Amino acid sequence: MKTFILLLFTLILSANHYVAVSNKSIKRISVEKLKALYLKKSFYVHDLKIVPVNLAPKSSARTSFEVNILKMNFSRLKTYWMKQHYLGHRPPISLKSQKSVISFVKKVDGAIGYIEQKNIDDDLAILYEWED
Amino acid sequence: MMKHLVMILFIFSFVHSDDFLSTNQDKYVLGEGVQIASLPLYVGGYFSALYQAKEHTKKYQLDDVALLLYGDYEKFSYVSEFEFKELYTYTKTENDAKSEQNTNIHIERLYFDYNYDENYQARVGKYNSPIGFWNMLPVNVLRDTTSNPIVTDIIFPRFTTGVSVTYSSYEKNAFQVDVLAQHNNDLDYNYNNYHMDEHFGLGFTYLLEDLSLKMNLGTFDNLRKNGTSEILYYGLLSFKYEQEKYQLTSELGSQYSQKKATTPYAGYLQGVYNVTQEHAAILRLEVYKDEVTQNKDNIVVFAYTYRPLFPVALKAEYQLHSLEEKNQILFSVSVLF
Repeated sequence: MKTFILLLFTLILSANHYVAVSNKSIKRISVEKLKALYLKKSFYVHDLKIVPVNLAPKSSARTSFEVNILKMNFSRLKTYWMKQHYLGHRPPISLKSQKSVISFVKKVDGAIGYIEQKNIDDDLAILYEWED
Repeated sequence: MMKHLVMILFIFSFVHSDDFLSTNQDKYVLGEGVQIASLPLYVGGYFSALYQAKEHTKKYQLDDVALLLYGDYEKFSYVSEFEFKELYTYTKTENDAKSEQNTNIHIERLYFDYNYDENYQARVGKYNSPIGFWNMLPVNVLRDTTSNPIVTDIIFPRFTTGVSVTYSSYEKNAFQVDVLAQHNNDLDYNYNNYHMDEHFGLGFTYLLEDLSLKMNLGTFDNLRKNGTSEILYYGLLSFKYEQEKYQLTSELGSQYSQKKATTPYAGYLQGVYNVTQEHAAILRLEVYKDEVTQNKDNIVVFAYTYRPLFPVALKAEYQLHSLEEKNQILFSVSVLF
């Protein structure tokens, strides 16, 4: 029993925590809205045009975002963006590091990104949080 | 024809040259188009070629060669699509063989969007009528099979030239309402399944995780070649269920004139099974009864699609009809660029 509790505790501690963030111009949003913004089905929060940014493909945060928020694997996303190209929509731009995402989000009004929770600072607003 | 082809090839080689690409682009990726010099202008396109074999006829066709231009700026965006349709066709029967060329460039789509806020969007121009699911992505390389289900061709106008307003909400219970109206000439009469100058429609879509449900109702003025016209009414119910491994889609519609049911029913149920990332097997069951052409048919479509790359599709299809003379085999190759 002791071993089991210890194992459970270790698993909880080792879970990765992520947050979707923006500068202070946007308040919390639902997971459905976050998904719609990243899939370019929705472009605004109230009157503010949203600029979603991705991390580099295959980074752990991006994989977690695609699995937990978009609920789409690589193949389905690739097909999705091919269809969106025909409909005149582009996938979100990708930035190389979480540091770049934080810097971009702080500078650009309406920009949203996702990072590991441990990297958040006081200038960022949390839109949504999840864990692996 | 050669002049037009050379012109298109020139445009593509020009915009794909390194000097002309935006510095923001890492590199050109097939199927994603390309941005022109940091302008709100993306260029792409697609083409498809097919082979069709019926009992007494064989057909080879360079079907679509299309150019896409789109972009957005602030609250505005636009999409345009210019296309050669059935550019070259070679048909061989038991006693005859002939080739045909159609070098007319058609305006398949040309519209402007205005995003008012997070819920409202207005559109003006020529666009795919937002009816059902299949009609939203009707080009060969994007659809599951080489052929289109009959219901998408006989119940409602595939294109509308007019205005539309969309209200969408992406909260817990996501939904979308589309209102469309045409009260003017078609931007390209020759590129639509119905000749019409009036179309009013209403659509409601409900989205729940992987399930989408849609209902469309509408009316349009069908202009016949003999100069007469007829008001037609249509209704269409659709659903789509998507998982990583498989998708189920169905559309069922009906069309009426003021006097009678012109198409009492037309519909399909289709399953797509993704064997691997590159391979998909498709089974589609179709039924329709059309009082205008006096046709009633049940169709089973067996199809297989191989995508060596996402934007490249090699498709094979066999159609088994209750009207046996319509049985056919189709092969196609299509590329999105």
